[in-house]
Amino acid sequence: MRVNPIAILISAAATLAGQPPAAPTPAAVGTARGENVGGYNLTTAFETGYRFRAVDGNYGKYRSDVNYGNGLRLLSGSLTVHSREGRGGLFDEIVLSTLGLGNDPYQSSNLRVQKNRLYRYDFAWRLNEYYNPALPISFGEHAANTIRRLQDHDFVLFPQSSLRLFAGYSRNSQNGPALTTVQQFGSGNDEFPLFADVRRLRNEYRLGAEVLVMGVRLNILRGWDRFSDTTGATLGAASAGNNAGDLVTLASLRRAEPYGGSSPYWRATLGADHKLWAASGRFSYTDGFRRFYFDELASGTGRFGAAQNRQILVAGDGRRPVAAGNLTISLFPASRLTLTNHTAFHHARMEGDSVYREVNNATAFDNLLEFRFLGIRAISNLTDASFRAAKWATLYGGYHFSARRVRSRESETVGEFSDLRAAEQNNRLHAGLAGLRLNPAKPVRVSLDAEIGRADRPFYPVSEKNYHALGGRLQYKTKTLELAAASRANYNTNSVALAVHSSRARNHSLSGSWTPRDWLSLDAGYSKLHLDTVSGMAFFAAGLVEGQRSYYVSNLHAAHGGVRVAIRSRADLWLGYTRVQDTGDGRPAAAASSRGPDILAFRIAQVFPLSFESPMARFSMRLRGKLRWNAGYQHYRYGEEFFRQQNYRAHTGYTSVLWSF
Amino acid sequence: MKLLIGLVLFWAACPVAHAQATGYAGSAVCKTCHPDVWLNFYKNPHYRNLASGKAPVERSGCEGCHGPGKAHVEARGGKATIRAFSVMAPKQVLDGCLACHAKDLSRANIRRSSHTLAEVACTSCHSIHKSPVPKFLLAQKQTGLCYGCHSSVRAQFAMPFKHRVNEGFMNCTDCHNPHGAPAPTWRMASRPRMGELAAANEEACLKCHSDKRGPFAFEHPAVRVDGCETCHSPHGSANPRLLRRPVVFTLCLECHNGADSFGREADGITVQSPSHNMAQPRYQNCTTCHARIHGSNADPFFLR
Repeated sequence: MRVNPIAILISAAATLAGQPPAAPTPAAVGTARGENVGGYNLTTAFETGYRFRAVDGNYGKYRSDVNYGNGLRLLSGSLTVHSREGRGGLFDEIVLSTLGLGNDPYQSSNLRVQKNRLYRYDFAWRLNEYYNPALPISFGEHAANTIRRLQDHDFVLFPQSSLRLFAGYSRNSQNGPALTTVQQFGSGNDEFPLFADVRRLRNEYRLGAEVLVMGVRLNILRGWDRFSDTTGATLGAASAGNNAGDLVTLASLRRAEPYGGSSPYWRATLGADHKLWAASGRFSYTDGFRRFYFDELASGTGRFGAAQNRQILVAGDGRRPVAAGNLTISLFPASRLTLTNHTAFHHARMEGDSVYREVNNATAFDNLLEFRFLGIRAISNLTDASFRAAKWATLYGGYHFSARRVRSRESETVGEFSDLRAAEQNNRLHAGLAGLRLNPAKPVRVSLDAEIGRADRPFYPVSEKNYHALGGRLQYKTKTLELAAASRANYNTNSVALAVHSSRARNHSLSGSWTPRDWLSLDAGYSKLHLDTVSGMAFFAAGLVEGQRSYYVSNLHAAHGGVRVAIRSRADLWLGYTRVQDTGDGRPAAAASSRGPDILAFRIAQVFPLSFESPMARFSMRLRGKLRWNAGYQHYRYGEEFFRQQNYRAHTGYTSVLWSF
Repeated sequence: MKLLIGLVLFWAACPVAHAQATGYAGSAVCKTCHPDVWLNFYKNPHYRNLASGKAPVERSGCEGCHGPGKAHVEARGGKATIRAFSVMAPKQVLDGCLACHAKDLSRANIRRSSHTLAEVACTSCHSIHKSPVPKFLLAQKQTGLCYGCHSSVRAQFAMPFKHRVNEGFMNCTDCHNPHGAPAPTWRMASRPRMGELAAANEEACLKCHSDKRGPFAFEHPAVRVDGCETCHSPHGSANPRLLRRPVVFTLCLECHNGADSFGREADGITVQSPSHNMAQPRYQNCTTCHARIHGSNADPFFLR
């Protein structure tokens, strides 16, 4: 069996296109693989090796961005077994792939086993080491060093028949140490860092069936989604808090806040596809609820230096039934014309009861009973038409309408006193779309599109209100050369009497890939992402400050390039480079701007210039028919212009052997 | 009841009746001139119908997709005598594939998807005969496919803070349905239009970040009404925690400015408390005290 050179090239181009961290080496680069064993064809490839890294600078930021460490790894693995006649014994196909097993921060494994017409089983397992030092946010006190593990199992019985049965299971867990903060002994008082032992778990079970009757497919799925969180928080040692100027201290704290709940759901789907029309409908209902308890006991000193202790006890529940559905009808009155109408609704009710009781040595506090309701109902109707005016030109247009109602009720009961507030807000959005696709010559494609929208009462000052978007793309594509240029602009103005929010986002990009020879391919691209926003602000700073503006300017330049060279079909060399740079608004220093609010911190926060670059190199050489030696190196450099405490340089790399047949 | 179940199972297992179609030559003839395609075709998912021998000729093997091949054989090849996908218009390609794949749940909205409107046909992303990817017959690795057109998204995933797509931990399809998804009603049917929904038509983010899902006794309406993108840039950002601003207080204050007509009561989203002096650094880190900003069970101001 020979490996198709086109597949090799495509795979190599894909490698450069994604430019993942320097490992693993694409298995397709190997020599001809595949062995026939009995009635099966078997291919396998395993790459194992050693990773290394050296970091100079902020190690926490490196772990946040990259996080590769030292040590032995099974960098990648793959196994495929295919029945050559399509009529194997227990199975006809096994496909297994793994990535980063051993101790990489990003690990995954995928498995598919199937027997034609009888069953199909898919399994996916993933692990992510999440590290966040969070220096600029919350004084770095919301750091996390957790591991998230995800797994999904899906089993289909009779996958090719008119009646299909499904079963599935998914698990999502997050565990590890973290930091959080708490404010103690009254509003406006000091805040204190706490240790948190994160323990979160979610399990989902699924059962379903699909039946095809007279061209109409009905799919029904029932799911049970159960979740729990037993994260606790403790104070490591007595603390004076973040603000040394006040007298509030925390001597001890114990907190338990377990919760658990379930989101059982139903989902039903109908679909039919005919020559002149197609229709699909979907309905889902989720009945979510949770029960919780909160117990916090703290002791220390209050703002006037007097001894304080406080226990907070909260219990209650939250409920969220959600009904959602959509119906899509497509008509094909002529071969050149497609009309599509999509109607969707979404109705969510969120309710919560919370009984709050506080006991302390300073004030007596009655039970506080709070009830919250937030209801969101949205209905959308979208109509699109696409018309192929000529072989080389297609027009499309559409009109989208959405209406959303947000209702809320809030009640608070303390002893004999009760308060109830209710509110309702409605927003309607009308949007129009138009587009043009041109194909003047086989390798050339041009697309232009525009959208304009008007909302009468958006929910937030930063929401889209009067907006329009323009986009265009030009592509030239042959078997060996692909060039593309794209531009997109989004403008939004959301103004009322006292405040204006205006945003402009413009993206421009150029990209190209060229494979002039079997042994050479090149890939490069550049994107400019510009964003500037102006938002009205009001806040307190020795009195209410109004009429201020928040300006945020980001000018991001992102570039990448790569080249692959094969040396006499024995060795392959990849070289790549990526760079992201935010030039901000061009100011030379953080405080060097007179534009913006009077408070210096606000003016400093308007830009965040930085650069992040990463050159990489990989080399792969065939040692014997089934054995290759690989080596890779990737450098990372992160640099902020104004605040340099997070800057770092890192050298990462690996050396490995790839065994395949 | 048992009889009913038995009948249903029998009907499901019944082979589809062979139709005596005309103009068909049979897949065995094709390998004479196309041995490169035939050589590995047993690894192709489309081989299943052929292997079973129970599907009609017009729904299996080479002619299941390429149509009757007799004229093509008699003409000794040529793209004019057979359904050649390389010369077909995008809609024809779509119709051809949907003849079998239309009713799958993931493709329920493909007729109105942004890809279809942009004339991105099935063969733009799938390589039926020369796929280097073992699952889904993708023309190349998924990130390479998507980045090919969405170059600005590629730039976002090169940022310091990003979801781990390039690292292989995630795929674009974990959050997006390239075949088209129902309208994201939580954002007024506005963009993004290709989001893969969680079970209850919720945002895809909640499939993994289930701790933010709730329901909470005290919901932060910012999360529920317009969704996570109100504060976060999901692909990647230069800012910590994928936030839209480098610091938290500008993010919060741009909404909490009391401007008329916004918020639940349409009289403005609450301005921060007078006890907060924004000139002091301690008040410029909102989430230090409002630590449960996505939703809380114990405090309406998300303090714990």
